[in-house]
Amino acid sequence: MASEPYLYSAPALILIVTVMLVPLVIGISYAFRDMTLLDPFSGGFIGLDHFRAIAKDKTFWLALKNTVYWTGYSVALQFLFGLILALLLDKPFYGRGLAQALCFLPWAVPSFLSGLNWAMLFNPVVGPIPHWLYGLGLMSAPDNLLSSPTHAMWGPIIANVWWGIPFFAITLLAALQSIPRDLYEAAAIDGATPFQRFRSITLPFLAPTIAITVMLRTVWIANFADLIVVMTNGGPADRTQIVASYIFTQAFRRLDFGYASAIAMVLLALLLVYSMLIVLLRQTLLRER
Amino acid sequence: MASIDITDVRKAYGAVKILHGVDLTIQDGEFVVLVGPSGCGKSTLLRMIAGLEDISAGEIKIGGKRVNELDPKDRDIAMVFQSYALYPHMTVAGNMSYSLRLRKTAKEKIAKAISGAAEKLSLTPLMERRPKALSGGQRQRVAMGRAIVRKPKAFLFDEPLSNLDARLREHMRGEIKKLHQDLGATSIYVTHDQIEAMTLADRIVAMNAGIVQQVGSPLDLYDRPANLFVAGFMGSPAMNMFEGVYRVANGGSVELAQGIVVPLAGPASTADGTKVTLGIRPEHVVVGKDLAGGLAAEIDLVEPTGFGTILHSRAFGRDVKAFSLERGLAERGDTVSVSFPVERIHLFDTASGSRIG
Ligand SMILES: Nc1ncnc2c1ncn2[C@@H]1O[C@H](COP(=O)(O)OP(=O)(O)O)[C@@H](O)[C@H]1O
Ligand SMILES: [Mg+2]
Repeated sequence: MASEPYLYSAPALILIVTVMLVPLVIGISYAFRDMTLLDPFSGGFIGLDHFRAIAKDKTFWLALKNTVYWTGYSVALQFLFGLILALLLDKPFYGRGLAQALCFLPWAVPSFLSGLNWAMLFNPVVGPIPHWLYGLGLMSAPDNLLSSPTHAMWGPIIANVWWGIPFFAITLLAALQSIPRDLYEAAAIDGATPFQRFRSITLPFLAPTIAITVMLRTVWIANFADLIVVMTNGGPADRTQIVASYIFTQAFRRLDFGYASAIAMVLLALLLVYSMLIVLLRQTLLRER
Repeated sequence: MASIDITDVRKAYGAVKILHGVDLTIQDGEFVVLVGPSGCGKSTLLRMIAGLEDISAGEIKIGGKRVNELDPKDRDIAMVFQSYALYPHMTVAGNMSYSLRLRKTAKEKIAKAISGAAEKLSLTPLMERRPKALSGGQRQRVAMGRAIVRKPKAFLFDEPLSNLDARLREHMRGEIKKLHQDLGATSIYVTHDQIEAMTLADRIVAMNAGIVQQVGSPLDLYDRPANLFVAGFMGSPAMNMFEGVYRVANGGSVELAQGIVVPLAGPASTADGTKVTLGIRPEHVVVGKDLAGGLAAEIDLVEPTGFGTILHSRAFGRDVKAFSLERGLAERGDTVSVSFPVERIHLFDTASGSRIG
């Protein structure tokens, strides 16, 4: 029977369609409808009105700028420290097993908990960090970084970097350990310094892993509002509002699901374009092998 | 090019001792083969010469200069690895020129060096390929090319042919020998394959369990093995070994199992009654009918190799192997007579393993 394969896969397909596709389509449809939870007469189609409003929405543009800032610095620093940590853990030393386990611990901490922790650490009443920064001369007074009109974003970024380093460390360490040792030995005999070995052996081997992990983390972090909601709630004056937290605010504070959904679609489109570029880049890198 | 002097070199990983004091001098331009069973410490010794392993004790000199504390790159040696260790992200040309580029050699000089090496190794049409697009034999040649462009003081080879099939291995063996005759570079070659050792070496260093057993020319080791280990390791099919007791009577003889007495060429340097091992290579065992002084043996396996025939037989309760170029000498189940020519007999002290005659 020609229809047999379809019959076998039908249960799974039906399940996927009902629990994933249907809500997705309904969610997307909100973007073109006037959906305000408290207004019983809302729900009518309004075409592209939401998108026109977004184009003029100053907070949205600020949030978009903040998203780039937040994502860029978070990913770059997580990657940098993750790579350094992976390189350190790749060398054999006494107690490496324990060190590895400890380094990967932050990953296991729930994001809300780590957000609360860091918020406390930044709070001058209970936390030490403002006093340290003041002592180092980096701050003129031991104030709360999270309420700084200029640098508030660094609070969640620091928390995020601390929290996300293990992800890069684990994946990069796995990639590092798959590099044959004798390549390094051959290069050492050929006269390569440790840095030259890193550049001509380690980096080319890591490149495909770097491309894929940076892409995954970028998409994830751009969508990741937990730490910001917990630590600053987008404040002060939307300085730390990113698109994801703005969507959250629109949907669950203002209860404007239509507008929130329209913003989400814009974010989705931007991230799709970005991912396509990275996938292309990775293909090129893999072909180089 | 340079000589290499190894003086009482030892290696231990923590409490585990791997090399127990190796002394060896390699002349300028000499091709020395380190041979021994897997795990005996050959690679470890080679890697210590290369600078890839710390030297626990002793001294290594290259060209008269102590190198113990030098990094691999400052020892001016080249190494060919068993896995080839080609840089997968570089082309053949890139692999071969890497060391020269790191040394900031002039572009024209690099081009000349690698095209010369490519010519020698017939790699010219492959220069723009990446390693993964090469066959095993081609990769092996690239690894050799990478070593020779540098014109190093010495070449180190760690089982470079082990990953090739038998036919290719034989071919590359010849190539390596020719290359050495061509370049005349000091070379140390590690292998567990005694045929490679015999065919390539100016001098063989036989090792076992971290101890040098014998150093000498291939035929030296073959004709006059210094101890039981070397006697058993070199040669295929392996030497026959029979335990027995030395007797001074009749100008020296050995009493084997079942009261069989085998005469020797002359008295051995040991006391009457000493436990000894008599060795004789299969190709030296004479097989015939009713030989004078022959021992009765029953053939239980015949292995034709094409080149010759290996006869497995049973005599005085022991297995006796014989190798003959003649075909059809005997069939399975035949009873023949085997004899051990006195001038072909090796005698070893069973307890110490050393040669005594
Ligand atoms: N890093 C190491 N730590 C502990 N033991 C090692 C190490 N490297 C090699 N060995 C041991 O040293 C011995 C000799 O190894 P090797 O030199 O590689 O032998 P081979 O003669 O086969 O080349 C082996 O028993 C091996 O297990
Ligand atoms: Mg080895």
